[in-house]
Amino acid sequence: MSTKTFKGGAHPPERKERSASVPIEILRKVTQVVIPVNQHFGAPIQPLVKVGDLVKRGQKIADADGRMTVPLHASITGTVKKIEPRMQANNLEGLAIVIEPASEDETDFMQPLDAFACTKQEALARVREAGIIGVGGAGFPAHVKFAPPPNKPIEYVIANAAECEPFLTIDERVMEETPEDLIDGMAIVMAIVGASKGVVGLENNKTHLVHLLEKAIADKAHGLDISVQLLATKYPQGGEKMLITAITGREVPSGGLPMDVACVVSNVGTLKAVSEAFRKGKPVIDTGLTVTGGACETPKNLFVPVGMLVQDLFPDVVRYDEGKLRRIVMGGPMMGPAVPTLQIPIQKNTSGVLLMDATEAKAYAEGPCIRCGRCMRACSCRLSPALLNVAFNAGDLDTAEKIGALDCIECGTCSFVCPSHIQLVQRFRVGKQLVRVKKQKEALRAGK
Amino acid sequence: MPANNLLLSSSPHVFTGVTPQKLMLAVIIALAPVSVYGVVLYGLPALFVMLVSVATAVLSEAGFRALTKQDVRIGDLSAVVTGLLVALISPPSIPLWMVALGSFAAIVLAKEFFGGLGANPFNPALIGRAILLMSFPAAMTTWHIPFKGLSDATAGATPLNIVKMGGSIADVGTGFMQNGLAAASDYSSTLVTLFVGNRAGCIGESSIMLILVGFVFLLATRVISFIIPVAMVGTAFLASWAFGMDPVFGTLSGGILFGAVFMATDYSSSPLTPLGKLLFGAGAGLVTIIIRRFGGYPEGVTYGILLMNMLSPFMDKLRVKKYGFVPAVKPAKPASKGAGK
Repeated sequence: MSTKTFKGGAHPPERKERSASVPIEILRKVTQVVIPVNQHFGAPIQPLVKVGDLVKRGQKIADADGRMTVPLHASITGTVKKIEPRMQANNLEGLAIVIEPASEDETDFMQPLDAFACTKQEALARVREAGIIGVGGAGFPAHVKFAPPPNKPIEYVIANAAECEPFLTIDERVMEETPEDLIDGMAIVMAIVGASKGVVGLENNKTHLVHLLEKAIADKAHGLDISVQLLATKYPQGGEKMLITAITGREVPSGGLPMDVACVVSNVGTLKAVSEAFRKGKPVIDTGLTVTGGACETPKNLFVPVGMLVQDLFPDVVRYDEGKLRRIVMGGPMMGPAVPTLQIPIQKNTSGVLLMDATEAKAYAEGPCIRCGRCMRACSCRLSPALLNVAFNAGDLDTAEKIGALDCIECGTCSFVCPSHIQLVQRFRVGKQLVRVKKQKEALRAGK
Repeated sequence: MPANNLLLSSSPHVFTGVTPQKLMLAVIIALAPVSVYGVVLYGLPALFVMLVSVATAVLSEAGFRALTKQDVRIGDLSAVVTGLLVALISPPSIPLWMVALGSFAAIVLAKEFFGGLGANPFNPALIGRAILLMSFPAAMTTWHIPFKGLSDATAGATPLNIVKMGGSIADVGTGFMQNGLAAASDYSSTLVTLFVGNRAGCIGESSIMLILVGFVFLLATRVISFIIPVAMVGTAFLASWAFGMDPVFGTLSGGILFGAVFMATDYSSSPLTPLGKLLFGAGAGLVTIIIRRFGGYPEGVTYGILLMNMLSPFMDKLRVKKYGFVPAVKPAKPASKGAGK
């Protein structure tokens, strides 16, 4: 099988070996869950329950009208104890529903639905009602992604199975243990969007999964054209744009979306959730994640109830060496935010918790740019990070915009390769906001 | 509960481990073969020139930064590289005080005055050389036959000088044979001698073979990109052929290869973008040959590169098309009634 890839990128140490062979452990018993109300990208939703209410596992507890909203469900059966702002993985406070478990364990799932017999509207409604968001990144509502406008026909459904972030192995384990869920989810999405081709994009450090996936395709593809495509093991191969370019040779136009090149990209976790929403009527109430890192003594792949605090994993589920712990990262080391405490709830799109030790968690002072050009070669979007850095440092937002600040996908490869440890992507994250503000001001002025 | 010694920073949380120091060390390793060969050619005086030049460079950087209350960062080894480069592009008989002056000028005038590492608009070592060349033209153009020590009796001209003064390549070959540097005086053994580097010239510029070893090392370790050296040498080759000069002889003699590999690739004074690098290299090669052909100097690499250094900020505007580039839609021209006339 040929291996495809994109131009640019880098190869950070994979560090997956410690957790890659650990089977997934499913956790149901917790002492409490703190479920952030707004975990999706879009308009905010409001709680439907109040303090003291008894809720069942799978019951809808928050929702709102509006297209860019996704409902939220109770991940355990129990009593609502508090509804209050809590610290979240993004280091901001947000409204959260705190539930403590009851002795009985009842579930309140939807009826199963045959995705291949129902109408498209019914299927999209099911995707929304199940609270499905893109778990690979920003938490984009899946029912919106699966409903492109009629002038944007979809040819490809791409399963993002690259898992290019170092350390993380949960997607790999899901594909090894339940490849049929992934393929079934893909088939359902292909039916919804009317795609003719399905491609599982897999980095070639996981070639042992190919025959498992191909067997699942033979069993579960529902007669649809689904195949596996090996990709070079390179960061950010799992970036939506890089994945599309590697597989189809198309480039998502600047400012556009995958649907502009007839593609829908979904993460392994998202597609598994789609399959479960239709087959079992189960909403998104569990999160799959990898807990690992140098300070973690028992690296594990877990399914835990959404809203479980990282703190509550210890010491019964996972043990860590408190003396060695230097940095806690929610997600992968390339894009995941570092958090100051373990009292952080695990969200729908939390892919991992890294407990890094002193050798992994280094901090450097910024040195001068020596103009070595390593960031220019590594940029997956072919931008010029070194020049962008100069423009932002000078406050020159016009030049920054011209160079392509808004096209930056914030993958962090530039900062990873910079010998002087210049905070390139960090500056671009802030700078992009400044450019957007500038553009809004210009638009306002032009409107007058 | 974790203690307060947790690190909080924005992602990414991992790094390659490559530092400016390691990049500079790679350049020093790449320069090692030509440096050693310089000592082989001209003996201990060449070694002293290098040591004095490196020491002056390091001391003047440390001194200047301490005096101006900035971090002393000689640990990044960039001053060592600059000092070594100044020595390697000096004649072996240069007085030690003079190379020290060149090294000081390179570090303080060309580099630290502009902000230090990464901020110099011109190649520091070439500025050092240019200043010496203007101030001490005699000492900077006194050459010696290799393997014979540095007395007046062993003084000789460089191959390019011989040709500039109206000599032919055959004269160069005859000179090689007379001095025991080549077994025969025919064209091909002259080129072989030039390739090995057994000819009069600057300490480090002569051995094409060892420069190529350094070039391959720098490419393999991904310290430099191949674009500038290949564009520069390629353009110089074509230009000298177009001007009716011998392109093979021109490439193998003089400092063009040393300049293309070690000088034109200086990070801070060359463009960052691939197209910028291409034009930069091509321009430096062209200017070098124009000076060799029409200028007063037998050699033009120094000014070829320095001239292009001036243009490199503009060449950084020649960026590759970004991912998903959409050409700007030109505003539709108002339909004119007189169309078709």
